[in-house]
Amino acid sequence: MSVPDYMQCAEDHQTVLVVVQPVGIVPEDQFFRIYKRIASVAQVSIRDSQRNLYIRYRHHYLPENNDWGDFQTHRKVVGLICVTTCGSGKEWPQTSERFHGQKEVFGATLYDSRLLVFGLQGEIAEQQRTDVAFYPSYDDCPDVEKKVEDFVESIFIVLESKRLDRATDKSGDKIPLLCVPFEKKDFVGLDTDSRHYKKRCQGRMRKHVGDLCLQAGMLQDALVHYHMAVELLRSVNDFLWLGAALEGLCSASVIFHYPGGTAGKAAGRNPSAAQGQAADAGKRHRPGALTTNGISADTSSEIGRAKNCLSPEDIIEKYKEAISYYGKYKNAGVIELEACVKAVRVLAIQKRAMEASEFLQNAVYINLGQLSEEEKIQRYSILSELYYLIGFHRKSAFFKRVAAMQCVAPTIPEPGWRACYKLLLETLPGYSLSLDPKDFSKGAHRGWAAVQMRLLHELVYASRRMGNPGLSVRHLSFLLQTMLDFLSDQEKKEVTQSLENYTSKCPGGMEVITLPDGLRLHPVPFTKLPIVRSVKLLDLPVSLRPHKQKGLMENSMSTKSPFIYSPIIMHNRGEERNKKIDFQWVQGDVCEVQLMVYNPMPFELRVENMGLLTSGVEFESLPAALSLPAESGLYPVTLVGVPRTAGNITVNGYHTSVFGVTSDCLLDSLTSVRTSGCLVEVIPSLPRLQLSTSLPRSAHPLQPSKEELSSSVSVQLFNGETQQLTITLENIGSEDLETLEITSKISNTKDGISVTGLPISSPLRQVLKPRAETRPPGSESSKTDYNHVKMLEAVMTFKYSGGAGKVEGYYRDLTLGLHVDVEPSVFFTRVSTLPATSTRQCHLLLDVFNSTEHELTVSAQNNQDLVLHASECQRMAIQVDKFDFDTLPQPDQETVRYTSLKLLEEERLHAQASMINSTLGITWDIPSVRRKGEASVEGVLNQLVLDHLQLAPLQWDVMVNGKPCDCDIIADCKVGDAVPLEVKLTNRSKNTVGPFALTVVPFQDYQNGVQNYDLQDAVTFIGSNTFYIDTVNPSEESLCLGALLFLYSGDFYLNIKFQDDSVGKEPGAGQGKELPLSWFGLPSIHIRAQEAPMEAGA
Amino acid sequence: MAVCIAVIAKENYPLYIRSVPTQNELKFHYTVHTSLDVVEEKISAVGKAMADQRELYLGLLYPTEDYKVYGYVTNSKMFRKLHNSFTDVMCNPFYNPGDTIQSKAFDGMVSVMMVQAS
Repeated sequence: MSVPDYMQCAEDHQTVLVVVQPVGIVPEDQFFRIYKRIASVAQVSIRDSQRNLYIRYRHHYLPENNDWGDFQTHRKVVGLICVTTCGSGKEWPQTSERFHGQKEVFGATLYDSRLLVFGLQGEIAEQQRTDVAFYPSYDDCPDVEKKVEDFVESIFIVLESKRLDRATDKSGDKIPLLCVPFEKKDFVGLDTDSRHYKKRCQGRMRKHVGDLCLQAGMLQDALVHYHMAVELLRSVNDFLWLGAALEGLCSASVIFHYPGGTAGKAAGRNPSAAQGQAADAGKRHRPGALTTNGISADTSSEIGRAKNCLSPEDIIEKYKEAISYYGKYKNAGVIELEACVKAVRVLAIQKRAMEASEFLQNAVYINLGQLSEEEKIQRYSILSELYYLIGFHRKSAFFKRVAAMQCVAPTIPEPGWRACYKLLLETLPGYSLSLDPKDFSKGAHRGWAAVQMRLLHELVYASRRMGNPGLSVRHLSFLLQTMLDFLSDQEKKEVTQSLENYTSKCPGGMEVITLPDGLRLHPVPFTKLPIVRSVKLLDLPVSLRPHKQKGLMENSMSTKSPFIYSPIIMHNRGEERNKKIDFQWVQGDVCEVQLMVYNPMPFELRVENMGLLTSGVEFESLPAALSLPAESGLYPVTLVGVPRTAGNITVNGYHTSVFGVTSDCLLDSLTSVRTSGCLVEVIPSLPRLQLSTSLPRSAHPLQPSKEELSSSVSVQLFNGETQQLTITLENIGSEDLETLEITSKISNTKDGISVTGLPISSPLRQVLKPRAETRPPGSESSKTDYNHVKMLEAVMTFKYSGGAGKVEGYYRDLTLGLHVDVEPSVFFTRVSTLPATSTRQCHLLLDVFNSTEHELTVSAQNNQDLVLHASECQRMAIQVDKFDFDTLPQPDQETVRYTSLKLLEEERLHAQASMINSTLGITWDIPSVRRKGEASVEGVLNQLVLDHLQLAPLQWDVMVNGKPCDCDIIADCKVGDAVPLEVKLTNRSKNTVGPFALTVVPFQDYQNGVQNYDLQDAVTFIGSNTFYIDTVNPSEESLCLGALLFLYSGDFYLNIKFQDDSVGKEPGAGQGKELPLSWFGLPSIHIRAQEAPMEAGA
Repeated sequence: MAVCIAVIAKENYPLYIRSVPTQNELKFHYTVHTSLDVVEEKISAVGKAMADQRELYLGLLYPTEDYKVYGYVTNSKMFRKLHNSFTDVMCNPFYNPGDTIQSKAFDGMVSVMMVQAS
C-alpha cells in the first residue's frame, strides 16, 4: 500500500467500502450522475436490528490496498457496483463477462455485487436477477437508491454473519493468523503451535472482530474486543497489530464522543447522517438513552461505556502510541500517515492545536519512498489543509505554496501553471496579503514584506506562464505599488524592466480583472510613481484674471442670502477638498493645476500622458509627458487643460501612464496629498488682449509691488528727454472686445519728492474691435534738479470685456507698468537777472552745469549754442522779454474753493515757470549719444527773479516827438525846436494807483563815468518839468504832456524821476507803500539834438 | 548561537529580522513566519489558562530539519540581552512603536548574539 488516503478520518473505521465502477463504455458525466445518486445512500438503517450501516463509496480503489483489508476491515472492498451501458441484447453476454471480470479483481473480499445496466430493454431486461438491475436509460432509473439500499442490506447480512462467525469462534478451532501483505514471508516456517503464536493469532483475530463489530454498528462490543486485542497483542509485542488495535480503540471512542464526525468539511459526504447524529448526540451521552440509536441486545453497553470508551485525552495518547508502533515498520508508512491525519482531525475538533501540530510535524517526516509529483502535491495540499484546520494559517500557507511550487517542479514534463497559480492565490490570506491596493493605502505597510514580495513574484511568473500577461501586469503593478518601500534599488530596476516587457505586449489599465473562480483583481493605480505631495489649482495669470463688476457682485450676493451680512456661513463646513476656491477660471482659457511630485525611483522616471481627472464641466485635458530625474526632490509639474463650458469644476485626481500601465489616481484615496481645494468656478468666456509695446519689456518689477502687473516697460532717460511709447493691443481671444477703458496712475517715487510731471495720458474711452490697434500718446517728462538718478513709476490699466463673460458681469484688467530711470542732464546752479536796456526786457543769467559724462550743447531761443564739457559749469545769458503773467488762465472758483492756498500758489508758480520755460526754450543735445531734451529752470526760480522777469503792472510809455522811446532807441530832434514829450501810464494792476508825481531830469553822459546834470543852459522845459498824474483806475490810462527845447546840439538823456503822492510826504517813501520798485521801471530816454540845417536860419 | 533573530510586533509583522547566512534569507523569513502560528497558539492558550501568569518563555516553537526555533526566553542570558536592547529601543522617544527597528545599538547587540559567519 503506497498511496495514502489523506481524506481519511476516524469514523471511516465504521464504514464498509463499496467500489462503484463503470464497465465498458459509460459516459463520464452519466457515470458520475449515477455515482452521486449511489453515494447518497451513505447510511442505511437496518430494519430488524436498529443498527446503522455506514458505507464509503469509491470509484477508484487500488487492489493492493485491498490486501490490507484484514488489517483494518474498512480498507476491504466488500461491495462492488458496476455501471454499464448495454445497447442491445447482443452485447449482453460481453457486458456480463466484463462484470464478472471486475468482480474477480476484488473477488476475495467481496460480500456482494451489483450490476446496473442502462439502455437494455426487452427479453433480457425482463428477467429477474438480484445482482443485476436494468434501466432503459440514465434518466429513467427512479429506484437506484432503493436498489442500493437493498444491496447494502445484503452486505449487512454477510457482515453480521461474519461477525457472529468470528465472534463465536472460540478457541476450539485453530485460529488463522491474519497478516498484512509484507508480513507473509516473515512467518514462513514459524512454529504455529507455540503459545506465543497462538496469542498472536488470538489478538489479531480479536482486533479483526472489533473492526467487524464497529462496522456492524456494535460500538460497545467493538470497544471490548479492541481492549482484549490490545492486551493480547501487547503481551506478544506484536507492535503493528497492537497499533492497529489501539487505533481501533481510538476510532470507536472518537465515533462515540464526536458523533458529528471529525472530517470537517468532508463531512458533507454524508450530511444527513452527520446531522442526524449531531441531533441526538446529547442523548447518547446520557446513560440509558441508548435504545433509539444504540445497539440492540448490547447489554454490555451501559456498564462498558465508562470503562471501555477512552476519554478525549486518552484518545490522543493512544493515537500517539499507535503511531509510534506503526513507525517501527517502514512498510506501514501509509498507515502511520493516515493515523496521523486522523489524529489531527480529532485534535482539531478538540481545539488542541499545539498537539495537532506535533502530529503533523511527524507526518511531514514520514517517508513513503518515491512519491510521484502528483502525490507530493496532494500531500502538501493536505498538510496545508490540516494546518488550516487547526488554525495555523501561516503554516497552511507555507505548505500550500510548496504544493504550488511542486505543480511546476522542473521534473514535471507539463508544468501545471494554472494549478500553481490557483494554489498561490489561496496562500494569500496566510501571508496577510490582499490584492486590493486600497488595503495598502492606509499608512505604512506592515507585514512580511520579504515573504509577500516573493509570493507576488511567483504570482507574476505563474500568471505569465499561464499565458495571461494581463494578470502578470496587474500583479507586477501591485508589487511595485505596494512593496516599493521594500524593494532595493536593483530590484526596482528589475521589476520595472520586466513590467515594461509585459506591458509592451499587454498594456495595463484600470479595469477590474475577474478570475474564473470569481476573484476580482482591482486595478492598481500607481500613486507612488511619481509620488504626489500636493495639488494646487492655479489662478489665471494676472492679465487674464476675470473681475466682477461691483454692482453686479452685490446682486449675486443678495440672491444667496436675504441678509446683507450673516455670521452663518452658507455653505457647509465640508472637507477642505470640497471647499470652493475664491478665484475663477475662464471658459476657453488654459487653466493650470500645479502638482508637487517626486520620483522615488533610483532612475529617471518617464511619466507619459499625465493629465487631470475632472468633473462638473466639460474639460479638455492637455496631457503632459514628463521625465523626473532619479530620486528627485519635490518637483513642480503643471497640468493644463481648457474648460469648454461654464460651471463648477472639481479636480478629482490625475491620470498617468508609467511603464505602460495607465493609472487613474483619485485624490480621495490619497491621504498624503495636500490640497487647498479642488472646486473652482468656471465663468463664461471673455476676450483676451495681448499687449505689446515699442519699448522692450522689463523684467524688474515696479518698486511698490503692491499690485501685480501684467507687463512692464522700463526706460532710462536724461532729465528733460522725451521718449515716445507705442502700445499695441491685440485681441487674441475668440470673443469680440466690446468695451475698453484706459486709466493711468503715477505712483510716487520712494524718496517722497513730489513729481511735478505731466499725467501720462488722459483717460479715453473707446470701443475697439478685435485686432484693432490704438496708439494713445504716451509721453512723460519730469523735472527734478538733483544730481542723482531718480525713478518714476506709473501704471496704465486697460479694462476690457466682451462676449458671454460680459453678460455675466465680468471684465479683465491689463496693466502696464512704466518705470523710468531719470538721469540728470543739465541743471542750473544759479540764476539771476540783469536789467536790460529796455524796461520790457531783461537778461537772465543762468549758471549751467553739465552733469552728464558727455559733451553737450545747450541752446536757447535766440541765443548762441553753448558747448559744455562733462561736469563743466558756464554762465549763459539770455535776453528775454518780460512776461505778463496775468495773461495766464486763472483757476476757476470751484478749484479755488477746494484747494489749499499753498497748492494754489504752487500751481501758480508752476504755470509761470512753464511759461518761462516755453519762452526760453532751452534745449540740450548730446551729439555723442544722440540724445536731446529740454532743460527747465523751474526749480531754480526764486521770487526775486520772478519779480524781475515780470512785466510791471504799471506800464509807462514815453514818446518823444510822437515816437515811442525805449532803451536803445535814440530820438532825434533839432536844436531850437520844441520836442513834445508824452508820458503815458497804463494801469494793468487790479488796484487803483496814484496819484504820482514825475520829474524829468536831463543829463549828459560823458561815457567816462561823469554825468553832467548841470544843463540849465542847454535844455529848457516848456512848461513844467514835473508831471502830476491823478489816480488811475485799473485798466485805465493817463497821459501827461510836456515839451523840451534843446538849445545846443548833443546827446542828452532824460531821467524821469518818480514820486508817489498817494501817501504822505515821508522821506524815502518814494517807492510807494506797496508797489514794488520794479513797477516803476521807466525807460531812460536818449535824445540826440542836432543843429538845424542852416538854410532856414540864414 | 543563533542564526536568525527576529522581533515580531503584536500584530505579527516583523519589526526586525536578521539572519547570518544572508544568501538564503528568505528561507528564514518563511521559518519565522510559520512559527508565528505556534506563538499565536501558545499565547492564546496562556491567555485562557492563566491570565495572570504571563509566562514569557515559549520555549521551543518547533524544530525544522536544520534548525530549532525558539520563542521568547527570559531565563537565558541570550534573550535577556535581546530584551534589554529591545527595551532601549522602545525607550527611544524618536522611535515610533510599530515601525521597523533601525537602531544601530540593537543591530550591534544582535550581531554579537549571532553565529559569526566564517
